[in-house]
Amino acid sequence: MKKLYNILFLLACMIIIASCELDEVPNPNSPNVDEFVANPSKSDLVLLVAGLEARIRDGRGSYITATGSISRELYFFNSSDPATTATLIGKEGAALTGSEPQLTGFMSSKYSAIKSANLVIEGLANSTDASITTAEAAGFTAYANTMKAYALMEMLALLNNTGLRVEVADPDNLGPILSKDAAYDEIRSLLDGANTTLATAEFAFTLSPGFAGFNTPATFAEFNRALAARAALYDGDHAGALTALNDSFFDLAGALSTGPSRQYGLEGFEIVNPIFKAPQQSGDQYVVHNRLITGIRATDTRVSKFRMRADPVPRDGLNGTHEISLYASTSDPISHIRNEELILIYAEANINAATGSLTDAETALNVLNTAYNLTAYAGALNTTELTDELMYHRTYSLWAEGHAMFDLRRNNRLNDTFLPIDRAGDIIHTEFPLPQFDR
Amino acid sequence: MRNNYFRRKLMACAFLLPFSFLMAQGTVTVSGTVTDASSGDPLPGVTVLIKGTTDGTITGIDGSFTLSAPSDATIVFSSIGYSSIEVGASDAGDVSLQTDVTNLDEVVVTGLATSIKRSNLANNVSTISAQSLNGTTTGSTLDGALYGKLTGVNINSAGGAPGGQTALRLRGISSLSGNNQPLFIVDGVYISNVQVTNGSAVASGANSGREEGGSNRVSDINPEDIESIEVLKGASAAAIYGTRANAGVVIITTKRGAQGKTRVSFNQDFGFNEAQNLPGRRQFTPTTVENQYDASERAIFVAAQAAGEIFDYEKELYGETGFISDSRLSLAGGNERTQFYFNASRRDEEGIMKFTGYERTSLRLNLDHKLADNFKIGVSSNFINSEADRGPVGNENNGGVSVGYNLALTTNDWENLFPDENGVYPDARFAPVNVIFNRDKIINNEDINRIIQGANFDYTALNNGNLQIKVKGNFGLDYFSAQSFFYIPEDQQLQRSTLQGFISRVNNNSLQLNYQAFGIIDYFTSNNISLTGQFGFSFLSFQSDELISQTTNLAPTQTNSGQGANFSTSQRLTEEEDFGLIGQATANWDDKIITTVGIRLDKSNLNGDPNKYFAFPRASVALNIANFDFWPVTSVNLLKLRAAYGETGSSARFGSLYTPLGGTSVGGLFGLGLPTVSQNNQSAQLGDPNLEPETSQEFEFGLDIAFLDGKVGLELTGYTRTIKNLIYAFESIPIATGFNNQIRNDFDLKNVGYEISLNANPVTTSNIRWNTTVNWWTNEAKVDRLGVGEFQPDNEGFNLQFGSAYIKDGEPATSLANNIQGTTQIIGDVAPDFEMSWYNEINFMKNFQLNFLWHWKQGGDVLNLTKLLADFGGVTNDLDDPELTRSFGGANGVTGYVEDGTYLRLREVGLYYTLPNSVIDFAGFESVRVGVSGKNIITITDYSSYDPETSAFGPSGLSQGIEVSPFPSAKQYYFHLSLNF
Repeated sequence: MKKLYNILFLLACMIIIASCELDEVPNPNSPNVDEFVANPSKSDLVLLVAGLEARIRDGRGSYITATGSISRELYFFNSSDPATTATLIGKEGAALTGSEPQLTGFMSSKYSAIKSANLVIEGLANSTDASITTAEAAGFTAYANTMKAYALMEMLALLNNTGLRVEVADPDNLGPILSKDAAYDEIRSLLDGANTTLATAEFAFTLSPGFAGFNTPATFAEFNRALAARAALYDGDHAGALTALNDSFFDLAGALSTGPSRQYGLEGFEIVNPIFKAPQQSGDQYVVHNRLITGIRATDTRVSKFRMRADPVPRDGLNGTHEISLYASTSDPISHIRNEELILIYAEANINAATGSLTDAETALNVLNTAYNLTAYAGALNTTELTDELMYHRTYSLWAEGHAMFDLRRNNRLNDTFLPIDRAGDIIHTEFPLPQFDR
Repeated sequence: MRNNYFRRKLMACAFLLPFSFLMAQGTVTVSGTVTDASSGDPLPGVTVLIKGTTDGTITGIDGSFTLSAPSDATIVFSSIGYSSIEVGASDAGDVSLQTDVTNLDEVVVTGLATSIKRSNLANNVSTISAQSLNGTTTGSTLDGALYGKLTGVNINSAGGAPGGQTALRLRGISSLSGNNQPLFIVDGVYISNVQVTNGSAVASGANSGREEGGSNRVSDINPEDIESIEVLKGASAAAIYGTRANAGVVIITTKRGAQGKTRVSFNQDFGFNEAQNLPGRRQFTPTTVENQYDASERAIFVAAQAAGEIFDYEKELYGETGFISDSRLSLAGGNERTQFYFNASRRDEEGIMKFTGYERTSLRLNLDHKLADNFKIGVSSNFINSEADRGPVGNENNGGVSVGYNLALTTNDWENLFPDENGVYPDARFAPVNVIFNRDKIINNEDINRIIQGANFDYTALNNGNLQIKVKGNFGLDYFSAQSFFYIPEDQQLQRSTLQGFISRVNNNSLQLNYQAFGIIDYFTSNNISLTGQFGFSFLSFQSDELISQTTNLAPTQTNSGQGANFSTSQRLTEEEDFGLIGQATANWDDKIITTVGIRLDKSNLNGDPNKYFAFPRASVALNIANFDFWPVTSVNLLKLRAAYGETGSSARFGSLYTPLGGTSVGGLFGLGLPTVSQNNQSAQLGDPNLEPETSQEFEFGLDIAFLDGKVGLELTGYTRTIKNLIYAFESIPIATGFNNQIRNDFDLKNVGYEISLNANPVTTSNIRWNTTVNWWTNEAKVDRLGVGEFQPDNEGFNLQFGSAYIKDGEPATSLANNIQGTTQIIGDVAPDFEMSWYNEINFMKNFQLNFLWHWKQGGDVLNLTKLLADFGGVTNDLDDPELTRSFGGANGVTGYVEDGTYLRLREVGLYYTLPNSVIDFAGFESVRVGVSGKNIITITDYSSYDPETSAFGPSGLSQGIEVSPFPSAKQYYFHLSLNF
C-alpha cells in the first residue's frame, strides 16, 4: 500500500504544480474607458477631444435621409434598405415606429459624441496632471460643452415635441426626458456657458483642418455663437438669435461658404462623405424631389445642385428627373454651419423679432439674390411675403443639408397642403418618436 | 533492466510510479475463437474479460484468443454491436455473438478519462458510428452530416455556400454569448469551431462578421476519419467538462489501426451539386411592367422581349451544376506493439454558382505503441488544407456585394447584364450593382492550413486482479492559419462612388492547447461491487490573432494589398486560459445499480476574478431492473431507470470584461472615442469587470428498455435545463447612454425537452437484414427571468421594423418580434413543435445495402426577408396573383412574411452493391463496393423561399429562423466506388 500512497502523492504534486495562478489579461485590443477617465493625462484628453470631433461628424447620412425624405427634398433610392421609400414617406399611411435606422443610427452617433464630451469633462475632473493649466482646463470644458449642445440640437430637430434626454453621463442612471422647450433651454445654456468660458480659455489641443479659422478659443467662440443663433431661432427667440449673430462669424459681405466643416476621407478610421453618390448611379442615389425642379427660378445658379438623370428609373412608385450633385467626391467636406445660413438666420430674425428690421431682412435676402444670379427682391416689405422669399432661399441654399424638415414645420408647411403627395396613400410625418428602448 | 530503464524515463516526467503485478492463483488457460452468430465470420477486437476484474485480452484478426483465468471465474465476451455473453472459465472455448441493435455493451466515454458501458449509463448519450455518419452518403462537412441522426439536436445552415456554415444546437438554447455551439473534442484535442471573418462587412455594410458568411472551422475534419461521435447533450452528462460545456460536448474518436494484416482501402466518389429549390421569378408582361414602373419602361421591356433578351437571373446565378470529386486512401494495420492508421483524402467540389467551390486535402496518421504491457502511448496527427470560394452572398447595408440581395432588390430580367465582346459589363439599371459582374469578378476566398495534434499515454501502475491503478494523460494542439481574401474591383458600379475598389485580407492565427492528466482507480470488491475513481486536472490555453488589412482606391485590375491609395489595419487578439480540477467516482453493484458522483472546479481568465474556482457537481444513478434476480421476463434484457443531475458553466466571451475605446480619425486627426459598429469587431460595449460564469443545471431522467434479445430497444428521456445568470450583450440599452450594448447577466432560461429513440431489427433472415431507428424530440426554451424585461438580442435580426429575434420575460427564447406602428409585438416562434427522423439500413440479396434517412421538422416559424426584399423590388413570383394580400408595414408589419418552416426531407439515401467474391478474387481485392446516393434530394414543404432550414446570422448566437437572400442550399447526388485490398 506504500506504493499506492506514492502514486497518490505524486499525482497530488502534479496537480499542484500545474495549478498555476491565472493572470488577468489587460485588454490586448484597445484602450479602456476606465483608464482614460480615472486619471487622464493632458495627451489622453487631447485624444478624447479629437475623438469627439470625429463623432460629431458621424451620422450625416441618416440625418439627411430622414429629414430630406420626410420634407420631400429628396427620395433616397437606397441600395439595401427598402424602407427609405416606404416608412419615411408614410407609404400606405405607415407611422414612424422609432426603429428606423435613420433615427437610431443618427442618435447613436450623436450620443456617442455626447459620451465623448462627457468623458472629457469627467476625465478632466479626475485628472491630476499638473501640466493642465486652468486656461487649458477651461478650453477642454468649453469645447466639450459646445459640441454636446450641438449634438443635442441636431437630435431635437428630428424629435421636436417628443423631447429627449440631456443628462446622460451615468449609463445606469439616465436623466429624465426633457420637453422640447426645456431641452432648448439646456442647449442654449450649455452654449452660453461655454462661450463665457472660452473668453479665458486656451486650447491644449488641435482641431482637424475642417475647423481651420475656428481653432482658437476666440474663433471657436464665433462657431459657438453661430450655433447659439441657430438654437435661438429654433427656440423661437428671434432677438436672441440676432444677439448671438453679433459675436458669430456672420458677415453680410463675406463669402457665403465661410464656416467649419466635417472632413471625410478613405484612410484608416476616416469615413466617406455619405451624401456623395456617383453620377448616374441608379440603384443607390439621392433623387431630387420634383418640387425642387419645378419650383426653382429660371436663372438661379443653385440649379447646379441637381443633375439630370440619364435613365430615370422609378423605384417603389416614386421617381424624379434629377439626382443629387451637391458633392464632387467621397472626400468632399460637408459644412457644419456657414455664413450663408447665418445670413438667412439674420433675415428671419429680422422679419420676426419685435426689434427686427424688415429692411435689414430684405438686404440680407438680396445678398443671396445677387450671389445666385437672381433679380433683387421686388415684393412687399411685409412679414408674409418676406417669409416666402426667405423660405425660397432656405429651400435652395440649404437643400439636402438637414434643415427643410424643421423649416417647414416651424412655418406650418410640413403637411400635404404645402407638400405634394406623389403616391396615393402616402402621409407626411412631422417628427420622430423616441426609439423603443429610449422611451 | 527493462523496468529500470522505464523508471529513469518516467522519473524525468515526474511520473515515477513503481508497480507490481500479482498473478492470481489456481488458473486455467482458456482459448478459442469468437464468431458472428449470423454470418459465422470470425470477430476481431472482441474484449474477453474475467468478470469482476480488469484482466483480459482482445481477440486477434482471426477471432482467436488465449487467456489465463482462475478456474472458477466467469469470462465475459463483449464487442460493440453485439450482445455480450458470459461463460464459465472451465467451459469457455469457441463463442458466437449475436448482433445487438441497442448497443448495450458499447463503451461510452463520458468521464474525460473513464468510460462506461451503455447499459450502465445514466444519461442519454447519442453515439454516431462511422456507418451512420458516412455509410449512406457523403457531404462536405461533418456537422451537417449529423442532422437527423440523434435526438435533441437542431441544425441550421447559413446557406449552401461550399464549405458549409452550420449552427449546431443541442437541447435548445444554452447561451447568447457566442458559446451556443457545443465543445468539439477530437481524440482529446479541444478543436476550434470559430467562424473566420473575411472583413467584407466593411464593403457590404453587413452588421457584423457573422453576416459575412464565413464557414465554421469544424468543417475541416474529414468525416471519413471518424470512427464514432459521442454527443453529451446537456449538463448532466457533460458536467465533468465544466465551463466549456454549457452547450454540450461532441466527442469525436478517429479510426485507429489494429493488429494484423495491413488493410488498404481506396474510396472514390463522384457527384454533383444542384440548387435544392429556386422559387422562381415574377413573369412580367408589358402591362405589369408599366404598372410597376412607367410607360417608358414598358417600351424598354417590349424591345427586350422582341430581341429575345428576357433572362432568368436566379437561374443564371444559382442554376449551375457543380461537379464533386472525393477521393480517400487509407491504410491501417500494425503488429502487437505498434498499430497505425493513415488516411489521405481530397475533396473538390464546385458550387451551384459559377466560381464558387471548396477543396479540402487532409492527411492523418494515428499511431499507437505499447512501450510495455502496461504502458501505451498514442499520437494522432492531422494536417488539413481547405480552401473555399464562397461567392458574394449574405446581408447588405451598402448594396455593393451580395448577389442575392441585389437580385431581389432589384434586378429585372429584361436588363442585359452580360459583358459585351470586349468584356465590359453594362451597369445595372435598377440595382446599384450588376449581379453578373459581382458573380464573375468579386473574389471571396478562404484558405486554411491547420494542424491538429493529439498525444496520450495510458500507464497501468498497479494491477493485482481486483485493484487497478492507472495514470492517463493527454495533450492536444489545434493550430490553424486562416487567410481570407475579399476583392471588389475598382470598376464595379457601386465602388466607383464609394471606395474605388476594395481588398480585405484577413490573417487569423489560432492556437489552442490543452493538457490533462488523471489518476484512475478501479477496485472490485468481493461482493460484486466495483468502484472507479478518477482525479485529475485539465488546462486549456486558447489564443487567436486576427489581423485585417484593407486597401481601397485600388490601381486598376490589381489584387495586391499594396496596390491602392488607402490602407487600414485592424487587429483582434484573444487570450483565454482555463484550469480545472476534477474528481469523479462510480460505484457499480453487479450492473444492477450504478451511481456516479463527481465535481469539477474551474477557473478562467474570462471571469472577473481569474483565480476564483467555480464548482460544477454531478450525480447520477442507473437502476438495471432486468439484472436483478427477481426479474421474471427473460426476453426483456434491459429495463433501466435512470436519473442524472449535473451543472456546467460558460464564461463570457473574451473581451466582455472591458469597456473599450476605439480609434477615430477626422481630417487626419487621430483620436479615441467609443467604437463604431464593426470596427475591429468591437462595438461600443459597456463591459462588466466582475463577471462570473453563467451556469446550466440539468436534470435528466429516463427509461431504457431492450427486449426480444436486443432486437428492439426503446429509450425515453426527459430533461429540464435551467441556465442561470446567462451572460448577454444587452443590445437594447438606451441609445442615450452612448453605448451599443451592455454586458449583463440577469437572465435565466429554462429548456424543457423530451426525446424518444426506438431501435429495431424487425427482419433478420438470411436474405434480408433490416435495422431501423426512429427518433423523436422536442425542446422548449422559455425566458424565466430577465432583468431588463425585454430586448432585441445582439445581431439576431435587423431593426425591429423588419423583425428580429426577441427575448422577453415569460415568452419562448426563440421568439420573433416586430415593431408594428411603434409597438413591439411577438410575431412568431422559430422553435419547431417537434422533430422526427427515421433511419433505415437494409441489407438484402446478400450483396445489396439500402440506407435512407427521412427527417421531419414540424413547425417553427421562418421570417422570410428574402421575399420582403423581392416584394419591394417587385420581382416575387406571386405578385401577379390577384388574391395576394401580403404587405409590409402599417398594421401588418412583417407578419405577412412569417412562414411555417415545416418540412419533410429525404436527408440521405444510398444504395450499395458489394461485388461477389467470385468476381473480385482474381483481381486481388478483398472487397469491392459500388453505390449511388443522394443528399437532401427531396424536400416537401410549404415554405416559399430557398430552404426553411436557414439562418442569416451564422453559427453563433441564436442563429435561426431569419432568411435574407442566402446562398441557396444545394442537394447532392453521388456515385461511389470503394476498393479494399
